[in-house]
Amino acid sequence: MRVDPSYIANLAGSIDQSQATEQQLSSELSSGVGITSLGQNPVASGQNVLLLNQIQQDDSFTQSSNLVTGQLQVADSTLGSVVTQLTSALSLATSANNGTMNSSDVQSIGSQISGILDEVTSLANTAYQGQYIFAGGKTSTSPFTTTTSGSPSVTTYNGDEDVDYLETPNGQKIQLNVPGSRIFLGDGANSVFGALNSLVGDYSTGTVDTDKAVSDTEALNTALNYVSQQRVTIDNSMTQLTAASESVTDNQTQLTTAQTDLMQADIPSISTQLSLTETQQTALEDVIAQLDSTSNNLFSKLQ
Amino acid sequence: MGTISSAFSITAGALDADQEALNIVANNVANANTPGYTREVPNWQENPPVLINGIANGDGVAQTGPTSVRDRVLTERLDQQQQLASASGTRLTALNTLQALFTPDSGSSSSTAGDIGSDLTGFFNSFSSLEANPTDNALRQQVLSSASTLASDVSNAASSLNSQRTALDEEASGVTSQVNALTSAIAQVNRQITTISPNADAGTLEDERQQDLSRLSQLIGINQITTENNGLSIATTGGQLLVSGSSSFQMTSGPVDGITHFFVGTVDATSQLAAGGGQLGGYLTARDQDIPSVLSSLDQLAYNVSTSVNALNNAGTDLDGNTGTTADPLNIFNQPTTAAGSAANMSVAMTDPNRVAAAALGKGTGDNSNATAMADLANQGIVDGQTPTDFYSSLVSDLGSTVSEVETENTAQNASVTQLQTQNNALSEVSLDDEASSMTTFERSYQAASQVFTMLNTVIGSAINLGESTAVT
Repeated sequence: MRVDPSYIANLAGSIDQSQATEQQLSSELSSGVGITSLGQNPVASGQNVLLLNQIQQDDSFTQSSNLVTGQLQVADSTLGSVVTQLTSALSLATSANNGTMNSSDVQSIGSQISGILDEVTSLANTAYQGQYIFAGGKTSTSPFTTTTSGSPSVTTYNGDEDVDYLETPNGQKIQLNVPGSRIFLGDGANSVFGALNSLVGDYSTGTVDTDKAVSDTEALNTALNYVSQQRVTIDNSMTQLTAASESVTDNQTQLTTAQTDLMQADIPSISTQLSLTETQQTALEDVIAQLDSTSNNLFSKLQ
Repeated sequence: MGTISSAFSITAGALDADQEALNIVANNVANANTPGYTREVPNWQENPPVLINGIANGDGVAQTGPTSVRDRVLTERLDQQQQLASASGTRLTALNTLQALFTPDSGSSSSTAGDIGSDLTGFFNSFSSLEANPTDNALRQQVLSSASTLASDVSNAASSLNSQRTALDEEASGVTSQVNALTSAIAQVNRQITTISPNADAGTLEDERQQDLSRLSQLIGINQITTENNGLSIATTGGQLLVSGSSSFQMTSGPVDGITHFFVGTVDATSQLAAGGGQLGGYLTARDQDIPSVLSSLDQLAYNVSTSVNALNNAGTDLDGNTGTTADPLNIFNQPTTAAGSAANMSVAMTDPNRVAAAALGKGTGDNSNATAMADLANQGIVDGQTPTDFYSSLVSDLGSTVSEVETENTAQNASVTQLQTQNNALSEVSLDDEASSMTTFERSYQAASQVFTMLNTVIGSAINLGESTAVT
C-alpha cells in the first residue's frame, strides 16, 4: 500500500503542537495560575467570578464592621456615663426627700441635679465623627434642647425615630442605633429628662413638696432602669457584630482556599505533563532526524 | 507468420514507449515539490494483434500518454472538510481575541483593574460600606469612584468589542476580491479543459483547477457539481452560482446598516455565507453572532444596573435632603434610554458625592436604609432575573464554553483534514522512492528492448549473408 510520501511534514506539525503545549505549561508554571483563559475551563471561570464576589463582600463587611464598632462603643460608654449621672441624681434626690435638710441645702441639691441635667443633655447630644448618635436619622442636628422659660423646664427631642441597620453578607440585620427619644424620653412614663426637670423644679425654691418629690424620684428611678434596658440593645448589637465578623472571616478564609484551589496551577501535575511533552518532542526530533537523512532515499542507492 | 522486420518494428515501438515512460518519471521527479501536482503514471497499451493466416501475431506496445492519479471524491471531501476547518479556525482566532477581554481574575480579595466581575462587587460593596456611616464623605466618594471604575471597564470592554467587530468586518470584505480572482481563474481553466480534454482527465489543467478549488475552499463554503465535457460548476453552500462552465459570477460586498454585506448577483447571501464555512464563514459568524451576543449581554448588564441604581437613588434622600425630580434627577449613572448601546455609553453622571441618596424618602440624612436597599441590589435578580454577579458569571462561562466548543470542533476538523490530506497524498503525491523504482524498471525494459534490437540485427545480418563467405556483421 502506498503511504503519504510527505509524512515528515506531518511530524513537523506534531513538533509545533508539542511546542505550543510546552509553552502553555511553562506559562502556567511561572505564573502559578492554572486557568489563563475562559475557554480553558469555562465552568471554573464562571465559578471564580462568584467566589471572588463573595470574598470581596466578606472583605467589605469586615471593614464596615470595624467602622460601626467605634460608633457602638461610643454609644455604649455614653449610656454608661448617663447611668452613672442618673444614679448620683437619684441618691441626691433621696437625701433631699428625707426631710432633714434646710432650704439652702435643698436648693444646692436642686442646682446639683440641674448640673446633672446639663451633663445628661450633653451626653444625649454626643456626636461621633460629627454625627449625633442619638438623633435617629437626623444626625446633623443636635437632638435635645431644653426650654427654661416655663417651670419645670421642658427638654424636647429634635431627632426622629429612624433606626439604622448594617446588613451582613448573609442578610442578617444588626441594629446600629437607638433613637434618643426612646432612651431619654421613654414612652412618656419613663422620661429621663421629664423626671430630672421635675426634680430641678421641686428643689429650686428650697421648700420641698415631699409627696411630689418622692413620686418624681421614683419616676427617675424607673427612667434609669429604662435607659439600662435600651443600653442592652446596643450591647446586643456589639455582640452580634463580633459574632458576624468572626463568621464572615472564617467564611472568607474558606472561600479564599476554594478560589485558590480552583484557579491555582497544579504544580506536580503540570511538571509531569511538561516532562512528558519534552520526552515526546525529543522522540519526534529523533524520528525526523532518522527519516530525513538522505541515505534513506532509494535514488541514493542507484549507481 | 511474423517477420523479422515486424519484430524490428515491435522493438522500436517498445523503445519509444520506454522513453516516454522515462519522460513521465522525469516529470514526476521534477514536480515532486510542486504544490498541487498530481503524480502521473505511464499508460501502457498493447497494440492490436495482426491476424495472418488465422494466427494472431502480437504487435508490441504503445504509450497512450500519462494519466494523473487522482480521486475526485477524495479531493472533494478534503475541500469540504477544509471549508469547515478554516471556518472554525478563523472563528477560534476571533474568539481568542474576544475572550482575552474577560481573562479570569486570579487575584484573591483585591479588586483587579479591568475585571468587570470585581467592579460590580466593588460598586455594590461601596453601598454596604456607606451603611456603616451614611454621612461620611469618603464613603460617598467611594461610591462614585467605584461606579466610575465599573462604568469605564464596561464601556472599554464594549468599545473593544466594537472595534474587534469592525476589524473582522474589514477582514471579511477583503475575502471578496480573492474569491472573485479564484472563480474567474476556475472558469478560464474550465473552458480550456472542455476544449482540450472533454472526455478524460485533463492532467495539469485539472491540477490547476483542483489547486484553485482548495484555495477557494479555505475562503468560503462551496458545492462542486461536475458537468458535461469535464466541466465544473461551483455554487456557494447557500446555492448561489459562482462558476458555471466557462463563466464566473462576481461576488460583491457593500455596507448595509453599518456592516459589510455580501452579494452574489443581487442576492444578499451574507447569512448563508456565515453558515457556509471557509474563512468568510468564520469571520461572519464571529462578527454577527459571537461578538453581538457578548455585547448584548454587556448592554443588558449595563442597562439594568444603571436603571435600577438610578431608580433607587432618585427615590431616596441625599445628604442635602433632596430627592430626585424629573427636572433634577439624582442619577448616579447616565440614564440609558434603550438596552442597545448601554454598555458602550455607560458613564457616571454624578459628580457631587452628597447627591448619593443613602437615606430613604422623608428620612433624616443620617438614615441608611436606601444605601442598604442599593447594596441589596447586588443580591436581587435585576438583570434578566439574575443577580448582576450571577449574570456576569454566566456571561463568562457561556463565552468560555463557546471558545472551548469551537476549539474542540476545530481540533477535530483539523485532524480530519490531516487524515484526508494523508489519504490524498498517499494516492496522488510524488514518492521519490516509487519514481526511483519505476525508473529502474523502465531503464531495464529499455535496455532489454535495445538488446533485442541488437539480436535482431545479428539475425538480419546472417540472413543477408546466406551463402556468402564475406560476412556482413
